[in-house]
Amino acid sequence: MTQDARVEAFVTAFEALRAEVEKVIVGHREIITHVLTAMFAGGHVLLEGVPGLGKTLLIKTLAEGLELSFSRIQFTPDLMPADIIGTNIIVEDVDGRKHFQFQQGPIFAHILLADEINRATPKTQSALLEGMQEGAVTVGGASRPLPAPFFVLATQNPIEMEGTYPLPEAQLDRFLFKLRVRYPAIDELNAIIDRTTQSRHVTVSRVMNGPTVLSLRELIREVPIASHVRDLASTIVMATHPSWAGSPEVSRRFVRYGASPRGAQALVLGAKVRALAEGRYNVSAEDIKALAMPALRHRVILNFEGEAEGVDADTLIGQIVEAAEAITASGREVFLR
Amino acid sequence: MDHPQTIEVLVRRVAREVRVRRAEHWGLRGAFWGALVAAAVLVFKAALGLAALAVAPALVALGAIAGTTYGFTKRVIVQDVARLADRAFGLADRVATVLEWADRPDRTPLVDALVADTAARVSTLESRWIVRRAIPLEGRWLPAPLLAGLVLAFAPAMHLPLGTIGDFTPSTEPEQREERTTTELMEERSRPLQTTPLKRPSVEERDFAQKSGTGSGSTAGDLSAIFKDTALSSQRPDFNSFLKKGDERLKLLEQVDRLPDLQSDFTSSQYKMVYRKSKSLLSGLSPDISPRKLRELLDEMERLGRKGGNWSGDATEGMEALEGGQTDRALEAMQRALDKMRAMEEAQRSGKGLRGGRENERGVRGRDHARGGEGNGPEDQDFGEGEGLLPGKGRSTMPKGDATARLRASPYDVGVEGESRRGKKEGYDTNLTGRAGQMPSRLMYLGVVGQYRKMMEDAITREQVPRDYHDQIRNYFQALDER
Repeated sequence: MTQDARVEAFVTAFEALRAEVEKVIVGHREIITHVLTAMFAGGHVLLEGVPGLGKTLLIKTLAEGLELSFSRIQFTPDLMPADIIGTNIIVEDVDGRKHFQFQQGPIFAHILLADEINRATPKTQSALLEGMQEGAVTVGGASRPLPAPFFVLATQNPIEMEGTYPLPEAQLDRFLFKLRVRYPAIDELNAIIDRTTQSRHVTVSRVMNGPTVLSLRELIREVPIASHVRDLASTIVMATHPSWAGSPEVSRRFVRYGASPRGAQALVLGAKVRALAEGRYNVSAEDIKALAMPALRHRVILNFEGEAEGVDADTLIGQIVEAAEAITASGREVFLR
Repeated sequence: MDHPQTIEVLVRRVAREVRVRRAEHWGLRGAFWGALVAAAVLVFKAALGLAALAVAPALVALGAIAGTTYGFTKRVIVQDVARLADRAFGLADRVATVLEWADRPDRTPLVDALVADTAARVSTLESRWIVRRAIPLEGRWLPAPLLAGLVLAFAPAMHLPLGTIGDFTPSTEPEQREERTTTELMEERSRPLQTTPLKRPSVEERDFAQKSGTGSGSTAGDLSAIFKDTALSSQRPDFNSFLKKGDERLKLLEQVDRLPDLQSDFTSSQYKMVYRKSKSLLSGLSPDISPRKLRELLDEMERLGRKGGNWSGDATEGMEALEGGQTDRALEAMQRALDKMRAMEEAQRSGKGLRGGRENERGVRGRDHARGGEGNGPEDQDFGEGEGLLPGKGRSTMPKGDATARLRASPYDVGVEGESRRGKKEGYDTNLTGRAGQMPSRLMYLGVVGQYRKMMEDAITREQVPRDYHDQIRNYFQALDER
C-alpha cells in the first residue's frame, strides 16, 4: 500500500465516520471533527455544555459508528472507584473451593462515556487517572491492561455547580481536548426538531473497527512537522506561563499556571491528525493555531484577577497565540533580517 | 534524498527575489545618505570650486551602489525563503518541511509522499514576484536631498564668512586699567554681581563715571560712552527707596526673639528647651532684666509643669511675685522650678522612667487624668496609662483613624458592604463593591454549600450530632436555600 493510499484511506475513514455521526447530530461539525481528531490522536475528550445539547448522543453515535465496545457510566456522588474499575469477588469453583476472581468494571471497554463526570467525588474521578494515562488499571496489586484503543469521552455541565466536584488539574490535564458545546443556530434547531420529532429512524453504520483505528494512529505519528511549526507550538505553550521571559502581558496579568508539556503534545498530535484529515502530509502553522483553544483552554489556570475580571480562556489563548506568532520567526519579514 | 528540481528552482527564484528587494531597499538608503553628503558638499561649492559639482553626483551614486551591493550580498537563509514561498503560494509549510525533512535520516515514509506532493504542487505554480517591495523611510525622503543638491548646484555660490570675529576690545583699555589704583580695583571686585543684563550698561556707565572723576569725555573703546547721551545716563540708584522697602525686613532682624532658634536641636524635649532658655536668661542677668521675658518664660514653665511636672506651683508663685514687682522672689521661684526640672531630666536619664515616646506621653496624660483631668485639649482626652489602642480597651469613643487608603485605591480592589435584608427571615446581605462586584461571581459558593449540606446529612445520619440539634441544623440549611 503506497503512502498516498494510506493517507487516502485515512481521509476516507475520517470523512465516513464524521458523516455517520452527522446523520444523528445536527450541526456541531467542529465538535465532531475535534472528537474524531482526539480519537485518532489517542487522546481523551472532555465535553462541556449545558444539558440537552446532544453531548451524550454524540458519543453514543460515535460508538455506534465504530465496531468497538462501549460503556456508559453515569457519575453520581455515591459512585465508588470500584464501581468503575471493578473488584475482586469470592467465587466457588466446582470443587467447592473458594477463590477471588476479578470482576471487570465498565472501564474495560474501548469507548467509555463518563457522563457528568464532575458529579462524582474526586476519589472516584481519580479512578480514571491511571486508565486514561497508562491504558491499564491496578486492582489488588495486579495491573490489568485496558482494551486498545481506549477512548474516554466525559461530559460535564458548567452551570449546575451544586453538588458537583470540579475536576482537579491533574485530571483535566489528561484530557487531550476540552470542547465547549454551544447552542445550535436556529436552522440547526429546526433540523433537530424535524429529525427528532418524526417517526423516521436513523441507523448508523459501522465504518471502522479497532485495528483500523490503531493502524491509523500509527500513521498519524509519521506525519512530519517543520521545526518552525514545532517552535510555534512550544512558544504558544510557553507563552501561557506568566513566569516565562517572552510571555505576553495577558499571561503575566491573568494566568496563575500555564499549560504543561502535555499541552504541547496535544497541540502537535492534534495538528498532525488535522493535517492528514485534510489530505496533507505535513503539519502547518495553521493546524497548530486551529487547535490551540481545545488543547489549552483547560490547561490554563487563571489567577484571582483573571477570575474577577471574568477573563474568557478562549480569548486569552487567542491573544497568546497572536503573541507567540509574533515571537517566532514566521511572523517576521524575511528580507529585513 | 535530493530535493526535486522544481522545489530547488522555486527556492532559488524566491531567494533571488529576496536579494533584489534587499538591494532596492538598501540601495535607496545608501542613495539618501549619499545625496545628503552631496548636498553638504555643494554648500561649500564656492570654496571647493568645480570639483564639488563632480563630487556630488559621485557621492549619490556611491551611496546607492554601496547600499545595493550590501543588500544583494546579504546572506539569505534558505528556510526563511521556503517559508516565504509557502506563505505566498499557500503551500501550508510544505516547502519548508520538505527542505528540512528530505535529508534527515529519521524521515518517515510519509516524507517521500510529501516531497512528491510538494513537487507536483510547485510545478503548477505560476511565476510571479512574491516578495513585495519595501520602501525604507530614507527612500521616501530621497527627493529632498536630491532636490536640494540640484538647487545648490545651479544656484550661485554662497560666500560664507570664513574670517574670525573682530576684536572689539579697545587697545587702550589695558593702559587705562593700569592707571586705576589698587583701591579702585578692590572696590570694583567687592561690588555685587548684576543679575539683570539690561541694567548692566547703566551700572557700567555709572562706575566709569565715578572712576574717571571727570563725568564727561570718553576714550576710544569705552563702552559706557554709548550711553552717555541717553536717558539712562541721568538715572541714579535710589538707595533711600531701597531702605524703605527693606525697612520691614531690617526691623525683623532686630527682633531676635521672634526668629527661630536654628541652632537648637529640633528633636530635644521641651523641658530641655526651657532649661536652656532659662540658663541663657539667667547667665546674662542684669539689673534691667526684662520682666516681659521673665514672665514669658515662667508662663511657659507653668504650662509645661501642668502637663507633667511638679514645678507648676513654683512657676505660678514666680508669676505672682513678678506681678507684685518682686523680681527677686520671681527669680527664686524660677530657680526652684528649674531645679525640679533638672531633677526630672536626670531621673529620666538614669533609666528609671525609660519608656517609648508614645508610651511616655500616654503616661503623662494618664497622670493628668488621675489628677482630675484639668487638660481640655484634644490630646488630654486620650487614654490613660495602661490603656491600649485596641478596640474595647480605651475609654475614648473616637475612631482610631481613617480606613487604609489601600482599599479601592485600585479599580481591581474588591470591597464588601453589608446591607440589612428585609423579608420573611431577617438577614444580612453582603454585596461586593468595585469592578468585580459588577461581574458574576466565580466562587463556588453553591458548590461549597452543597458539600456542607452533604456533610451535615452524613453527620446526622451517623448520629454524630445530638438529636435535639437536628431540627435546628436543618432549619439553618433550609434558610440558606431560601436565599
